Amino acid sequence: MDARALRSRVARLLPLLAAAAGIGSLVLLALSVENSAAFGRSRLWIVSGNAFAVLVLAWLLARKLWQLIRDYRNHVPGSRLTMRTVGIFGALVAAPLLVVYVFSLDFLNRGIDSWFQIEIRQGLNDALVLSRSTLDLRRREQLQRTEAAARDVASLSGTMLLSRLDQLRRTMEVSEVVVYDSTGRPLAVSSDASQPLIPAAPPRDVLLQLARGRDYMSLQPEAGGRYRIVTATTIYAAVGAPQRRYLLVNYNVPAELSRLADAVQDAYTNYGNLSELREPLIISFKLALTLVLLLTMLAAIYGAIFSAQRLVRPVQDLIAGTRAVGKGDFGTRLALPSRDEMGFLVHSFNDMTKRLRRASEEAEASKRVIDSERERLAVILSRLSSGVLVVDEHLRLLSANDAAGAILGWQPEEYRGHLLSELAGGSALLRQFLAELQERLASGRSEWREQLDLNVDGVRRVLLWACTMLPKGVDEGGVVIVFDDITNLLTAQRNAAWGEVARRLAHEIKNPLTPIQLSAERLRRKLRSGLTSENAQLLDRATHTIVQQVDAMQQMVNAFSEYARAPEMCLTTFPLNQLVVEVADLYRLQDQRAQIRLDLDPRLGTIEADRGRLRQVLANLVSNALHAISGMENGVVEISTAAMKPAAGDQPADAQLLVSDNGPGFSAEVLQHAFEPYVTSKARGTGLGLAIVKRIVEEHAGQVEAGNRPQGGAQVRVTLPLHAERRTLEARRERA
Amino acid sequence: MMSVRRWLLGLCLSAVTAVAAADGALDGRLTIDTANARFNAGVVELNAQVTYPLTEQIRAALQDGITLTFELEVVISRPRRLWWNADVVILDLQRDLSYHVISERYLLRGPTGAEQESFPTLTAALESLGKIERLPVAVEAQMGGEGPWEIAMRAGVRRGHIPDALRTLLFWRDDWHRTSEWYTWTLER
Repeated sequence: MDARALRSRVARLLPLLAAAAGIGSLVLLALSVENSAAFGRSRLWIVSGNAFAVLVLAWLLARKLWQLIRDYRNHVPGSRLTMRTVGIFGALVAAPLLVVYVFSLDFLNRGIDSWFQIEIRQGLNDALVLSRSTLDLRRREQLQRTEAAARDVASLSGTMLLSRLDQLRRTMEVSEVVVYDSTGRPLAVSSDASQPLIPAAPPRDVLLQLARGRDYMSLQPEAGGRYRIVTATTIYAAVGAPQRRYLLVNYNVPAELSRLADAVQDAYTNYGNLSELREPLIISFKLALTLVLLLTMLAAIYGAIFSAQRLVRPVQDLIAGTRAVGKGDFGTRLALPSRDEMGFLVHSFNDMTKRLRRASEEAEASKRVIDSERERLAVILSRLSSGVLVVDEHLRLLSANDAAGAILGWQPEEYRGHLLSELAGGSALLRQFLAELQERLASGRSEWREQLDLNVDGVRRVLLWACTMLPKGVDEGGVVIVFDDITNLLTAQRNAAWGEVARRLAHEIKNPLTPIQLSAERLRRKLRSGLTSENAQLLDRATHTIVQQVDAMQQMVNAFSEYARAPEMCLTTFPLNQLVVEVADLYRLQDQRAQIRLDLDPRLGTIEADRGRLRQVLANLVSNALHAISGMENGVVEISTAAMKPAAGDQPADAQLLVSDNGPGFSAEVLQHAFEPYVTSKARGTGLGLAIVKRIVEEHAGQVEAGNRPQGGAQVRVTLPLHAERRTLEARRERA
Repeated sequence: MMSVRRWLLGLCLSAVTAVAAADGALDGRLTIDTANARFNAGVVELNAQVTYPLTEQIRAALQDGITLTFELEVVISRPRRLWWNADVVILDLQRDLSYHVISERYLLRGPTGAEQESFPTLTAALESLGKIERLPVAVEAQMGGEGPWEIAMRAGVRRGHIPDALRTLLFWRDDWHRTSEWYTWTLER
């Protein structure tokens, strides 16, 4: 058992011990008042028991008071109410107790003083003096009679003396007449039946007094309230008598006189006993009253504290329960203290918490449903390829999905809760988008669905966006904007359309070209022999022109056919740098003047791709670049490669191919539609070169960008995944 | 906490000791000088000499009318092994001493009032009280066994003739109550 448990057990046992001690001492007190000796033996136990009970009561009360004060200082709920209740109870108990105490003390003083008034003492003393005087007179008379008797028997002895003593006893009406010698030995006796047959020796004080030559007379009380007068005198014999003799006579005091004297004696004794008790009685009564007052007050205050705490405890429970409910604990249940009004209040509280708990559970369930729906919506929004923005009526961004960030090139999570005007620091595309949005909203528009053309650094981006108002009552209203980047879609549609055109052109034009060429050749052979030299030359020129143009058209049709062909790739793994070198060497052989510089990244390894098509890409780009610098004395074509690392990981994931020249560069008009078919700055170009490049790059899940270098000249940047798996992922992402 | 407990314990003991050690009017010698007992014809007879206090305060109080009760407690017990003694006889002898103011003599009375002696002086009365000769305290049948027995005797004096209810009230400051130490000896057959 630890110290705390021991203290708790002692604290519980102490009041029981104190009560037992108090009751035990009371029982001892009740028993001992019947027997003074028993009281003497148990006095220590009585005092100890009472002192123990008082001390324990005082200790318990001190503990209660200290606990009450500590709770009051610590602002424990209900402590003030307890303190007030204790104060009221204490005052209600203390006031009448004090009044009774004061009046009791006054009554004690006056009452006990009245018992010992001076008149009573004086009366007793007067009665005593009177009694003494009466009895003293009687004693003297009896002594004179004894002296006369002594003279009468002075000359007698032997039987004569006995006979005379009998005669004297009868005539004097006394109980006993004795003659002693000087040593106290009885010589002759005459006594009635009440006296012993052989008289006792005279008391020593009688003999002493007689030896001094003085007579003896004494009033002696006897059992039963009777009195006896004892007188003794010396019997003076004739000269020559052998020894001195004494005569002792016992006289009975009359009964009436004895009764009166005894009454005076009893009154005097009783009064003396009581008067001795006066001061102790007053003090004892005061102490007893004070002790009773203290005990009563201590017990009353302890009872007041106990009752107040019992009364306040349900209120404290209610306060604690209310606080718990305030903190959201609706499972709080209070024990019913009773079936009174407090019990009804507690029952109502429990009923309230029960309802609150049920409502809370329902609200929680609804919240879970809403959260689930919100999570579902968030998942749907995050999976959407369309961008979604939710803006409140104050143009504050409430929500935006990942696609919105991907399309506009920003991080929506960082700007949630910000005003749209605070988002202007993002990408140029975002700035243009927000400008368009704010312009529309500022003009009062809240519902639209239209196409939005944006131009960022010469690159055209086409968005399809729609805006609609959120109904009032859902959050704070606002608008939701849904948009899609349809640039690629439009390009794809355009490409598909151009592919279809190319396929039809190839189909419709290619077929008659061969007959035309053959017919022209046949015409020249058949007709040339019958014509003049001049006409033959004309025919030769005409048929040559026809054949040449048909060849040109054949090449064009082949180009169209190539553009429209089905995307079937033959993937192999080969070093990209080696392919670049091969293509560069081929063009250097074709044109000795061509200045082609290579800047190849040695880290770049192999690439998994269709080698033939990549060769076509390189050929188109180098051809375009060489064409751009044709006629320039210091024209240079630069081809560089680089291994691109992803954000996480050490292995290169992409290959970058940059083909640039220092020619005139792209015009703004051409740059805007650089990868569209039939867009060319060359006089005799088909306008399919960059379109085919873009198509092949996209077939490899790569990206191609065209632009102008700051120092002048055009550049085309091609980014290709190195591995087929990554290409597949990119393709999936694209499709998503 | 420990010091508080010690303080409370000390206070309690002091209060009890103060009450128990109250003294005053009965100052003076209260001792049992000698005591013995012997079997005489099947009766245990007690002989003792007790000195009771004699002060002017006592004399004055007696002459003012109060009564003193002189007590003699005799306990005869039989020792037991590994246990408390068994009480054989417990006697409580009381005699009242008062001053008869009319006769100016000191009276000694038994508890019933049937036995009464008077003395001209207080000294003579106290000497008579203190001299105990051949007082029968038990008969052989009461003693049981062959002995030995332990006899304890204590003398006391207190104010007599006080109503018991008042005596209860005076329990904490009764100066007129005093007892001697126990005087013990062994009685053998």
